[in-house]
Amino acid sequence: MAPIEIGQLEQVKDWLKARRPELTDIDVDLDLIENRIIDSLGFTEFLFFLEEVSGREITTDAQTVNLFRTLRSIRDNILTAQH
Amino acid sequence: MNAVQEEPDFDPAVHRLIDLSINTYYNPYTRFDWPDSLVDEQWWMSPDLLTVFDTPFMDTMSERELMALSKYETLNFYSLNIHGIRELMIEVTRRIHSPGYEHQSEFFHHFIGEENEHMWFFAKFCLKYAGKIYPDKSVKIDTGTLAPDIANFLVFTRITIFEEIVDFFNSRMAKDESLHPIIQEINAVHHQDESRHIAFGRQLMKQLHSDLSSRHGPEEMLAVGNYVNRYIEASIQSLYNPAVYRDAGIADPYRFRRELLQQPSRQRQHDRYLKRTKEFLDKSGLLPSENAYGAN
Repeated sequence: MAPIEIGQLEQVKDWLKARRPELTDIDVDLDLIENRIIDSLGFTEFLFFLEEVSGREITTDAQTVNLFRTLRSIRDNILTAQH
Repeated sequence: MNAVQEEPDFDPAVHRLIDLSINTYYNPYTRFDWPDSLVDEQWWMSPDLLTVFDTPFMDTMSERELMALSKYETLNFYSLNIHGIRELMIEVTRRIHSPGYEHQSEFFHHFIGEENEHMWFFAKFCLKYAGKIYPDKSVKIDTGTLAPDIANFLVFTRITIFEEIVDFFNSRMAKDESLHPIIQEINAVHHQDESRHIAFGRQLMKQLHSDLSSRHGPEEMLAVGNYVNRYIEASIQSLYNPAVYRDAGIADPYRFRRELLQQPSRQRQHDRYLKRTKEFLDKSGLLPSENAYGAN
């Protein structure tokens, strides 16, 4: 597993907070979908941002949506996944 | 599923569209004369439809670089069509011959058939001349909170808006003689069919919307309007694909994309694509006026 760059998770958090300014912090286990922090219409922009941060192209399908459900899962499955 | 309220002139209008479908039917599998290959160095998309148009990049990029970009942007455009058609076919198939869609089902047969054929020729083009279709990056996140009648309205609104944006590109490229005949022809044929689908979609949107406001409060109706505006924005953003910029040899595709989206001049182009759609939405009162696209 590639080491996660310091600050990547903070970058993701900041990106989400910029779109939901009423959030002061986002817990790593907060359900981003249930809490409507990400939704279908905003998903592709979020994905492109994650691609840029992680430095790799990310493929998606109906099953992979759960990988984006919490910041913890994004960190473990998207940001630290093998390049 | 909520029954669709019939507008008095809906049936005759649908029958006219069905007749047109039958009378202009063509065999898509024999309709086109596919050349064996297309040379890279040519315009694959009208230059004024490129995502760099009306920005300083039109001057800083060489014609060769712009032509390379046009190849991948046209592939992205066809790929978006393929994925969009898949979604609309699923949604229409889910509704055909189900309660509430008795008057629309005859047209749905033509719609599904024609859309299947469109998907075939777009995919054929991508695979024959580039060996790939850009993947669909969107994901359906269903929180299941929408009332069924609102969900139905939004399905056909998404379909119609998607078709209207696509049609702007099709009608422009169909007439652009600087493009290869196969590119012109694909766009012309699609434009011809889509004009019927758009006419139908607009009618159905009006019907589905007609009694929404009597059943739902202003807050819910505002949420519907916000959703439609966000859908329009997401559709426009999908034209800017980092994978396209990477394939066209642009060094930092994500940064390039961001820079393009931040160019004020690009808004002018988006307004061009959306002019007809926005006029329809405003005129038909389908969105609260304070909520109309561009007024945010």
